[in-house]
Amino acid sequence: MSPVWGSMAQYEMVHWSWAIAVYLFLAGLSSGSIMVALLVKWNRHERSNSSIWDAMIKSGAVVAPLSILLGLLLLVVDLGRPLSFYWLLIRYNITSVMSLGVLFLLLYTPIVMVFMLLVFERSVMKYTFLSPLIALIQAVKELHSYAKIIEYFLFVTALCISSYTGFLLSALYAIPLWNSPILPILFITSSISLGIAVNILIGLLFFKSTINEESIKYLLVLDLRVILTELPLLALLFIGMFYAGAESANAAKAALSQGFWAGLFWFGVIGVGLCLPLLTVMIALKSHVYRISYVVINSMVVIVGVLILRYYIVYAGQIYLG
Amino acid sequence: MGKAYRLLYDENACIGCQACSVACRVEHGVPEDFFRLQVRMELKGVFPRLGMSYERMACVMCEDAPCVSVCPTFASFQDKDGLVHIDERVCITCKYCILACPYHARFVNPLKNVVEKCDFCYESRVSKALLPVCVSICPTEALMFGDMNERDSLVYETSHKEALIFPKAHLKTKPKVAFLPKRKGMKS
Repeated sequence: MSPVWGSMAQYEMVHWSWAIAVYLFLAGLSSGSIMVALLVKWNRHERSNSSIWDAMIKSGAVVAPLSILLGLLLLVVDLGRPLSFYWLLIRYNITSVMSLGVLFLLLYTPIVMVFMLLVFERSVMKYTFLSPLIALIQAVKELHSYAKIIEYFLFVTALCISSYTGFLLSALYAIPLWNSPILPILFITSSISLGIAVNILIGLLFFKSTINEESIKYLLVLDLRVILTELPLLALLFIGMFYAGAESANAAKAALSQGFWAGLFWFGVIGVGLCLPLLTVMIALKSHVYRISYVVINSMVVIVGVLILRYYIVYAGQIYLG
Repeated sequence: MGKAYRLLYDENACIGCQACSVACRVEHGVPEDFFRLQVRMELKGVFPRLGMSYERMACVMCEDAPCVSVCPTFASFQDKDGLVHIDERVCITCKYCILACPYHARFVNPLKNVVEKCDFCYESRVSKALLPVCVSICPTEALMFGDMNERDSLVYETSHKEALIFPKAHLKTKPKVAFLPKRKGMKS
């Protein structure tokens, strides 16, 4: 029954739905996987095996451009007026994180696409319909003396992408769960964890010949540290809300204890997303032998966990307003 | 000099008749189940000390408007008098402003597929020196509208006589809508 003054439906709507949650996941995946690929390239390359590209770099080079393109497509389709999206490219409001995001994406997306072409130069050469790209690859290779600087620049833009998705939400003080400076840091750490998981999984599936066990071990140790950072960050997010006045405190209490989304937080985000990977990584590292099954399970639970985290933040933020 | 519009809502005079809400729907053709303006009523207190509380839900025309600062395409903008409007031509309906608004004043009009909210009837009435439709229809004169730069206006006089409450004042959005809080009955 609707009250005397009319329907309340408009005030209880979830305005940003699954498409935004999946976009946040894909943007985190893209930036995370390219950052992980670059970390492997910088820190582990000289010890790599026969191929010039480690499997981790190859998977980063595939995953990063594909996931960001898919994410952008989703983002545009989710607009109320998808065909007018071009206004985002014409008008820029620098106080809007969404506009800043567009600028970062315009820098980031072309560079990861070129990075993919460079890593897969030989495959590009094989197919005649890709021949127009060869000229581009040659032109980019002319810049090889600046390679390191370009890589650093790519790393910074990837950091911008993964953190802007956090700032996009944290800029809104109308929504207590989002309005926290912890959120961008949480998104960066979880995107690195996601990058490690996906790169390992794709590497094992498609680039097995260039897999380097030492690289995987290096990444698993890194993942352990990242997950151990994520847990206190999540705690800080809610502790901050408890000290930010009655409205925020009520929102935090509800988000942790009421309804489906609270259950999803404890089971999905904490259980599946953080505790389970922690357990498998520790077992995988402790046994000192490289067991594929552990590594694969670890990757899958991390991927599911990060997706659930994005879903939880997007939905619980809009539902529990305090 | 620009106008300093102010809308006052006297909770003591409101009887919850919803005439303002209905007039608003007619004036702007608001689709069914959506609202630019609601007046919510609640019975508060314990018998026999009961009282009705009324709350006006609509855009409060912030001076520091979060919907304007988050809009990526300047579709949500302020005019020379500081009123917040929506430029439907450049609105991409990303709904960022709806989420940014602490007053829950905005919604997507499902017929036009653009974001909509109360605009103080600027186009159709205020720019032609008429009162907003909710103000002109109110049978108990619970709503007052005018220019604070005019010393003899009703809103100027009332604002300097009465204690005003600005909605969610702690957020420092500086609304142009203010409430005259209930003097009798139950306080919230």
